[in-house]
Amino acid sequence: MRNFLAFIRRFRVLLFFALLQGIALTILFTFSTFPRSQYLTTASTVSGTVMSWSNDVTKHFELSGSNKKLQEENKWLREQLTVNKLALKAPMGIDSVVLTKDDFIQRFEYIPGEIISSTFSRRNNYFTLNIGKKQGVERGMGVISDQGVVGVIHNVSEHFSVIKSCLTKDINVDVMISSSREPGLLKWDGVDPRRGSMIGVSNDRSIKKWSQIVTGGKSGIFPRGIPVGKVAKTAPVEGQPIWDVTVLFAENFRTVQYIYVVKNILKSEQEKLEETIPDDPIEDE
Amino acid sequence: MNKILLHTLRFALFLIIQVVVLNKVELGAGTLMMIYPLYIMLLPVEINVFLLLFLAFALGISIDSMSNTYGMHASALVLMAYFRPIIFKAFAPRDGYEIDLEVNVHNMGYRWFLRTFGILLLIHHFWFFLIELSRLDEILYVLQKTLLSLPLSFGLCLLIQFLIIRRPARGGV
Repeated sequence: MRNFLAFIRRFRVLLFFALLQGIALTILFTFSTFPRSQYLTTASTVSGTVMSWSNDVTKHFELSGSNKKLQEENKWLREQLTVNKLALKAPMGIDSVVLTKDDFIQRFEYIPGEIISSTFSRRNNYFTLNIGKKQGVERGMGVISDQGVVGVIHNVSEHFSVIKSCLTKDINVDVMISSSREPGLLKWDGVDPRRGSMIGVSNDRSIKKWSQIVTGGKSGIFPRGIPVGKVAKTAPVEGQPIWDVTVLFAENFRTVQYIYVVKNILKSEQEKLEETIPDDPIEDE
Repeated sequence: MNKILLHTLRFALFLIIQVVVLNKVELGAGTLMMIYPLYIMLLPVEINVFLLLFLAFALGISIDSMSNTYGMHASALVLMAYFRPIIFKAFAPRDGYEIDLEVNVHNMGYRWFLRTFGILLLIHHFWFFLIELSRLDEILYVLQKTLLSLPLSFGLCLLIQFLIIRRPARGGV
C-alpha cells in the first residue's frame, strides 16, 4: 500500500495527464460515432447561440448568391406546375385513369433551415443548423439543398442541430446511377471537398462519364432522385469485380447556406415492416 | 487577483477568436490556423502543473464543443501543456526564470521563443492532425497538414503578441 501511494505521488502529474488525455480521447471515439448528448457539440445552447451570432454577421456576404439560387429553384418548381404545361393526352374514355390530388398522401415533408456554421477541410465536417427539435428535426433525417444532398442529421437539441455532412468519413448514403439504376454507397476520402466516391458498383456494366448520380431512396432518408453528383472518373479495383467511381459533388459545400431537412412521415411504418425480416448472418464487407 | 482576471479574459479572447474567426478561415490543403496554444504558453512559469493541465483541458474542450471536433483540441492541448514544463526546463536561461516575468517574445527574445514555442506548437499540431486522421497509413498527409499549418499558426501567434501585449517599458505586462 505504501509503495502504491509512493508510486502515485511520484507519477501524479503523469497520471493526471493520462486521465485528462483519456477523457478527451474517449469523447473523440465515442461521440463521433454516436453522440449520447448534445453537449460538447455546436447543438448545445451556448455554442449554438455563439454560432448564430457569428452567422448573423457573415451570412450577408453570400446573400446575392443565395438569392439567385433560390430564384433558380423557384423557376424550376414553377415550371413543374400543371398550369404551365399543355396536356399531350386528354383524358379519354372511361378506362383511363385520372389521378387527382386525393389519390396521393404526403410521404416526405421539408423543414426549411439555415446553416450557421460549417467547415470543409477537416477529416469529418459537421455543419450546424439553426433549427432543432422544436421545428421537428430528429436524428437520422436527411438534409438537402436546392443543389443536392448535404448530409444527415447527427445530433439535435431544442433549437439547434448538427449535420453529418457528405464530407465525413462514413457518410454511407445509398445512391444510384440515374440512367442505369446501378446502386452503390457514397463515401468521402477526406481530402477534396469537391469529390467523393461511390463504392459497390459492379463492373459488368460500363459507366458513362458525367452520368448523373442521385439518391436511391431505399433507406427512406432521402426521396429517390435527389442529385448527388456526376461521375468524374471510373477506375477498376484490383482483385474485385467492382468499379471505383469518383463523384464530382453537385453541391458546393463551401457556399451552401439554405437547406431543407427531409422528414419521412412513413419512416416508422417502413422500419416496423423491415424489422419483421428475420436476421440472418450476412458475410459482407 | 489582477493576474487571474487577465488570464480569464485571455481565455475568453483566444476561445472566441479561434472559434468565430480562425475555424472559418480555411485555406485549403487541410490547413488550420490555431492560436490558442499561445494561451497555455503565456501562463506564468511557476504555475501549478495540475492547474496548467486542467486549464489546457478546459480551453481545449471549450473549443471542441464549438467546432464539433469532439475532444481533438483538448487532447492536443493537454499533451502540449504536459510538455511545457519539460521544454521550459530544457531551455531555461542560465540563472533560471525571473519570478513574475511573462514568457512572451518581448521578454525572452526571438531565439528562445522560436525554440520553445516552436517545439510545443509542433507537438500540438502533429498530435492534433494525427488524431484527426487517426490512420497511420496517411502519415504523409498528417505531415503535410502539420508543416503547412505550423508556420501560419506561429506567425499569427507572434503577431498577436505584438497586438495585445504591451512592450515591457518598465517590466511586467
